[in-house]
Amino acid sequence: MKLQVLILALLFLCAPAWAHHGNSAYDEQARVPVKGTVTEFVWTNPHSQIYLDVKDKNGNIVHWAVETNSPGILSRAGWTRRSLTPGDEVTIILCPAKNGAPVAYIGSGDPGTKVIFADGRELDFKDKTAQ
Amino acid sequence: MRRLACSIRFLVAFVVSALFAMSQTAQSQTTGQNNARSLNTQDLSGVWQLAPGGGGQGPGDNFPPLTAWGQAKYDANKPGYGPKAAPGGNDPILKCDPMGFPRILFVIWPFEIIHIPERILMFFEGQHTIREIWMDGRKLPNDPDPRWYGYSVGKWEGDTLIVESTGFNEKTWLGAQGQPHSDEMRTIERYRRIDQDTIQFNLTIDDPKTYTKTWYAEPRLIKRKPGVEIPESFCVASEEEEFARRIREPAARQPGKE
Repeated sequence: MKLQVLILALLFLCAPAWAHHGNSAYDEQARVPVKGTVTEFVWTNPHSQIYLDVKDKNGNIVHWAVETNSPGILSRAGWTRRSLTPGDEVTIILCPAKNGAPVAYIGSGDPGTKVIFADGRELDFKDKTAQ
Repeated sequence: MRRLACSIRFLVAFVVSALFAMSQTAQSQTTGQNNARSLNTQDLSGVWQLAPGGGGQGPGDNFPPLTAWGQAKYDANKPGYGPKAAPGGNDPILKCDPMGFPRILFVIWPFEIIHIPERILMFFEGQHTIREIWMDGRKLPNDPDPRWYGYSVGKWEGDTLIVESTGFNEKTWLGAQGQPHSDEMRTIERYRRIDQDTIQFNLTIDDPKTYTKTWYAEPRLIKRKPGVEIPESFCVASEEEEFARRIREPAARQPGKE
């Protein structure tokens, strides 16, 4: 199946700014689906990272880098260091960098950001230990 | 006849016992499950986490007017959060500097409170840091060495733990929004456990070199996190540099300035 970048101008209202790991480099009002193949999942504190290869409209591979939460936060949301492995085909609903670089943020502060696998399984950031 | 009297006594005893049990059940239902467990409000043992609230990842933006010294320091701070937020910036934690106090309290990550003889320890997931509060009646030192987390002494007043701290260095921010402080800062924390799962938290900041008045931070709640373990969560400079090279810097780079 041909991989392609789906850039949809989906705009959502965000949670109040204080509720999240605000990062002014990213457009946290946007939720953009990007579909690609995972090349690396870095499970480090305080920022885990997902790297993926994405085919653009012209068929060229673009390397995307996605910042996400710490292993502590991800663990409490049900993730493990094995949740993503190279070769996984995923769609990530993300907040892209404002400067247009293929860099993005997903995490607990930005509701609606998540990882969706080809079989429909999802990884989100809801704290499963919350009372 | 004797057998009948015995049966009546047994019946009365049974009914009285049943009524007593029912009244106890009703009472525990009305007073709530928490109080029924006879909560020891001077025991804060366990894993806790700050609840989201006003002030965000710091004591808030409601700070008193700055002194000239404080204003200059605030102007030099370039945070990634709050009203002054901009890509990049110079937040000290971007280099894995210790978050310092009181900023560590405002990270919405778990921390464990541990009671040991003569001390209370706070073990934070954020940067995997331990802070100690002396509970043996000692006074604050007169001329402490400046520290990232200061020097803290605590005491109980009824059900409120009161912690006074001094001896801070000037290298840390009070919160993610870049609020400054000086080495003259003194703080008072108040922790009051209002039920099994909730602590009321208040913080007062006195720093005449930076702020023209006492700062009463936004009151916050701290909620219990039963069953949560504190994972290893060091901030490691080599990992942070790699993250900055691969993600933070490309995301913050301004077009045309590469």
